[in-house]
Amino acid sequence: MSQINRRDFLKTLAATSSASVLSVPAAHAAAKSKAKVVVVGGGFGGATAAKYLRMIDPGIEVTLIERNTSYTSCPLSNEVISGHRDIATLQTGYTGLRKHGVNVVHDEVVGIDPARKLVKTKSGKGFAYDSLVLSPGVDFDYAAVEGYSEAAAEKMPHAYKAGPQTLLLKKQLEAMKDGGTFIIAVPPGPFRCPPGPYERAAQVASYLKHHGKAKSKVLILDANDSFSKKGLFEQAWRELYGYGPGGMIEWVPGAADGKVVKVDAQTLTCYTGFGEHKGDVVNVIPPHHAGKVAKDLGLATFKNKWCEAKAETMESKGLADVYVIGDSCVGGDLPTNNAFPKSAHMAMTQAKVAVGAIVAKVNGLPNPVPYYVNTCYSVVAPDYGFSVVHIYKVENGTWIYVKEASGISPVTMPDKSPVPKVYRKLEAEYADGWLRNVMADAFA
Amino acid sequence: MRNTVKFVVAAACISAASSVFAVEEIDGLARTCNNCHGVNGVSVGASMPSIGGQSEAYLKQTMMQWKSGERASATMGRLIKGYSDDQIAALAKYFASKTWTPVSQKVSAAALREGKDVTERCETCHGVTGSKPDDEQTPKLHGQWAKYLELELLKYRDDGFQMAHKKMMKNARKLDEAGVMTSADYYAGQNQ
Repeated sequence: MSQINRRDFLKTLAATSSASVLSVPAAHAAAKSKAKVVVVGGGFGGATAAKYLRMIDPGIEVTLIERNTSYTSCPLSNEVISGHRDIATLQTGYTGLRKHGVNVVHDEVVGIDPARKLVKTKSGKGFAYDSLVLSPGVDFDYAAVEGYSEAAAEKMPHAYKAGPQTLLLKKQLEAMKDGGTFIIAVPPGPFRCPPGPYERAAQVASYLKHHGKAKSKVLILDANDSFSKKGLFEQAWRELYGYGPGGMIEWVPGAADGKVVKVDAQTLTCYTGFGEHKGDVVNVIPPHHAGKVAKDLGLATFKNKWCEAKAETMESKGLADVYVIGDSCVGGDLPTNNAFPKSAHMAMTQAKVAVGAIVAKVNGLPNPVPYYVNTCYSVVAPDYGFSVVHIYKVENGTWIYVKEASGISPVTMPDKSPVPKVYRKLEAEYADGWLRNVMADAFA
Repeated sequence: MRNTVKFVVAAACISAASSVFAVEEIDGLARTCNNCHGVNGVSVGASMPSIGGQSEAYLKQTMMQWKSGERASATMGRLIKGYSDDQIAALAKYFASKTWTPVSQKVSAAALREGKDVTERCETCHGVTGSKPDDEQTPKLHGQWAKYLELELLKYRDDGFQMAHKKMMKNARKLDEAGVMTSADYYAGQNQ
């Protein structure tokens, strides 16, 4: 060791030891980082993970890799389609995360080397990590619906990743003539935002009803035989827009040949097993699976589609020090058919669990008790909303759905009388308050 | 029940240590509230109340009333059943320890002028600006979100919504619609 090197070494040693004695955030920040965490994906899950890591332990160096420079919330984007909401209220950049000291990199991940603990990006950079948080969301399986593709989505929008697709569907709805048919093709579950297609049906109907197009139809062609908040949606559809024969909204379940297997983007036709339905606007939501980044890493071990994680930590079952959160993972109480819903709120609580685990690990502390909570509002008219909530606890390494604390808004009161309108109004208002708070909790 | 006890013991042990992670256990639990009520209980969504800095007794009582069904709610009454009584107590203590932060928001100038008269019957319990509750069970109102206050008054005025506080129901029903908006804006516009 040369003279100079030894001096530097001693200086570093002094800096490090004083930091650990003081044990205050500022000292940690000034010293060499305790650990490097790379977060891939800047949606609700990834942004929350990056922010909370920095907030809880500023000694951890955090890099967030995200393709886009701005984010558009999928939650409440159905209100954009109906014109009840400006898309700008759903959009945010990454300045807030930078203020927390997150190194935000706008780039695309092209490869992850778990042996060398290295993330490689399109621009040729490499990011070393001690822990990796993957929050890549979903990618669409266009090929699962014959005739559908990324190009066909320009004619038959999915509008299931918010942004230009949302605005395209809105434009098509506005151009639709009275008496037209708006088709929503729903893929087999699980898909992100389980109540999304049904909330969309209501929002589209709301637009049609209030814009002189009341003779039009909203036809839901569903691959499934039931859906999230079904009782609430059917009640609201019936009450507000007409549902079933003669009503504006019609739902065709999988069992009644509702599953769309093929589309023709030129003629706007959906083909089911035995029938065909021509629409004036056709919204095709293709099946999806864990984002490419996670899938390429071999983590989509559940039905070859979804990633599996440990309940205490959200650490991947397949790879140590890799945490998989958000829409790309499967979890929850699967034996009782209470899987985690793929929602923003759920992704954020998963992120907080992963952060708790990483911070504990870095600091040599025991893993904290994980808490899993979900809240998901659906808005079917400006004064009419409802919700579903979920709480899961962890016992012996598995998620247990806490039944008494979970479930949907009441369909009727306990004495079977109708639910007072004030409940629906409150939850429509809460949806907006929820949105603003989750956006801030994740990004600000 | 065993889990509950473990939780409290863990929280007590950890808070004895003076590291940056002193209250990790309760922090983790409280983080589940942040999604809707904001970091440190300061909400940025107008329909969601700020809870950081409200009194421990008020927060605890409200949560316990939801849990028992004594007080109706649209969403929280379901979620709160997932929290043990000890966890509820710990959360009330946690958020009460935060600083009450009046949020800056647009309110009508007329409401600020007329609000004091309109809210005369509220003064005894909440104080002139809503910042001096006369007992521990009464919430602070100054700088709370106007939209939230309006929705709370709506609950107290609606026969279909079962609220626990009889006196508050009686008084809220003495206001007219305009009075509701004026009161909500008046308190929202106070910063001390």
